[in-house]
Amino acid sequence: MSVRRAAVIGGNRIPFARSNGPYARASNQDMLTATIDGLVARFGLQDERLGEVVVGAVLKHSRDFNLTREAVLGSKLSPDTPAYDVQQACGTGLETVIVVANKIALGQLESGVAGGVDTTSDAPIAIHEDLRAVLLEARRATSIGGRLKALSGVRPRQLVPAVPSNSEPRTGMSMGEHQAVTTLEWGISRAAQDELAVASHHNLAAAYERGFFDDLVTPFLGLTRDQNLRPDSSLDKLAELTTVFGRGESATMTAGNSTPLSDGAATVLLASDEWAAEHRLPVLAHVVDAETSAVDYVHGDRKADGLLMAPVYALPRLLARNKLSLGDFDCYEIHEAFASTVLATLAAWADGAFCRQHLGLTGALGSIERTKLNVNGSSLAAGHPFAATGGRIVAGLAKQLCQNGGGRGLISICAAGGQGVAAILEA
Amino acid sequence: MKLLTSPPSLAPLYARAALTGRLHRGDTLPDSVYALTDQVIRLDHLAAYQRVCGFRVTDEVPATYLHVLAFPVSVALMLERGFPFPLVGLVHVANAITVIRPVRCGESVSFRVRAADLRTHPAGRQLDVVAEASAAGELVWSSRSTYLRREKPTAPRAGNNTQSAEPLGSISLVPVPENIGRKYAAVSGDRNPIHLHALTARPFGFGRAIAHGMWLEARTLACLEGRLPDAYTVEVTFKAPVLLPSAVRMATERAADGWRLDVRAACSDKPHLAGRVRAGTSA
Repeated sequence: MSVRRAAVIGGNRIPFARSNGPYARASNQDMLTATIDGLVARFGLQDERLGEVVVGAVLKHSRDFNLTREAVLGSKLSPDTPAYDVQQACGTGLETVIVVANKIALGQLESGVAGGVDTTSDAPIAIHEDLRAVLLEARRATSIGGRLKALSGVRPRQLVPAVPSNSEPRTGMSMGEHQAVTTLEWGISRAAQDELAVASHHNLAAAYERGFFDDLVTPFLGLTRDQNLRPDSSLDKLAELTTVFGRGESATMTAGNSTPLSDGAATVLLASDEWAAEHRLPVLAHVVDAETSAVDYVHGDRKADGLLMAPVYALPRLLARNKLSLGDFDCYEIHEAFASTVLATLAAWADGAFCRQHLGLTGALGSIERTKLNVNGSSLAAGHPFAATGGRIVAGLAKQLCQNGGGRGLISICAAGGQGVAAILEA
Repeated sequence: MKLLTSPPSLAPLYARAALTGRLHRGDTLPDSVYALTDQVIRLDHLAAYQRVCGFRVTDEVPATYLHVLAFPVSVALMLERGFPFPLVGLVHVANAITVIRPVRCGESVSFRVRAADLRTHPAGRQLDVVAEASAAGELVWSSRSTYLRREKPTAPRAGNNTQSAEPLGSISLVPVPENIGRKYAAVSGDRNPIHLHALTARPFGFGRAIAHGMWLEARTLACLEGRLPDAYTVEVTFKAPVLLPSAVRMATERAADGWRLDVRAACSDKPHLAGRVRAGTSA
């Protein structure tokens, strides 16, 4: 069996909105269907039977067990297009690209859509855990008496619902609190974080200005640009913000250098070169390879095994397999969960002692030219609807590489549960 | 040897404890051994216990679960006429459990419980209640619970040098809800009023109800899901009680032979529990 590289044909996303903003009443399915329809319109896929649509959402109601299939059924794609959900926290979007690209590489698919969607506004609120236990007990009871006895366990305080939070189940600490530990361990300064945040806003604003997103973004519910974008963001303005994660004097993380809770969806159209040619669709880039990793953030080392540090470990393995070094790329996309996540990741790769001890290398993995990093802005400016970020990055990077007339791009995304997903694109 | 085939009911024992406190005095421990035979580990009770303590529901019995089965026998022993202290006022200050091999749901376990090692302590006197569990004729588990009878006032210890300023290792933030005492009482049978409600705790000198020490130990062990060896010893000392509701920081740090445990109040760093887990069964 021969293996071929899957092509990135393009992408479509809706502008990302801040939590409880313009998309407050839109469900995951609403946003995803609109996003798929935008992709259909852009690439003339009306009534087309694609190989598969693979999408995920991090926050998902149990009734949305077939979220992606339902969205496909409501979209303008052929209803004969199969679909399924994938979930790997914030790595979801990139993981779906890897899944579809691998099936195309193996010849199992000729075309497919990958992507992600998330809403923090239309969140799947659950009932109180104690009330759930009472109701399940009542359901298991076989007699009316047994049912009443079980239901007598209902207490008024159980009516308080359980709202999903972004805290890690095993540590009870939020992602920001975990990252605050990493930030401190790696000595990432407030100024460096704010600088990265400003660059993200300026790069994203500039990309909008030059029309970069004209064929990547479709307006939705009145929003034409990412709501979180502040083109006039500056170091002075960011310096005024109070810290929100970390304790006392050493705290450096603010709402300005952390991503906000957001709503949105992003999709990527992938295909074989043959399918693209048949459909007269130009190829932006190809998916070369990918690698996932995980760290023991629960019991591991505070500095080396931070919750969002897993991509640090994926990259050397990915580079070695492809006989590449860190400097061999024209564009780097490192997901800005927090500004300090990017900076700690770069610091780890540049730290010879760390790379020897933890990555099994003979010295530092290297450093990258900051002018090649997140050139069209990233999550700090655009927002980060968890599963949608991977699709945003893949489509944007593929287009940038194509515009450059070729080149190689690297993607690194950290995810809850101490996980990381990395991938290489080439144009 | 006093042979029991079913665990004594705790409610009448507590009633007796409340009434007979003054009768318990003396300088020696009774040498009786209580045996509770053929207790089959039942799935519904085990699962309820595992849920309340934060363990995953599984066939494998947590180390602290067998303590719950042996506890009524311990109480019966401590209410024996010859027992030197009234039960009310005995403080559970430490616990050490050795798991020789994991016990599984459906197994039949027999317990032997005795009191041992009455000794003086700066604050009064201490003794151990030793429980042993065997299955299919082999010793599989043992537990040593240390109780303190306060008999003289002690000055607060200045400079507790065993405690580091910052908790070490990895930290889990664990909320301890107001109803945890009632929930643990329901699965353990230990309905000591100090654990149930602020109103029932008040007559005993607590402004709020306090969490069961053995719940706290169990919940801390649950942080090590997937990281505990088959055979190990967990030793803990109970520090300041956890007033309900509150939140605690459970720190677990790898040591050469296992783990160090350090549980503190989330807001004040006040120590609640310190201990360690050592692989293997050598004491």
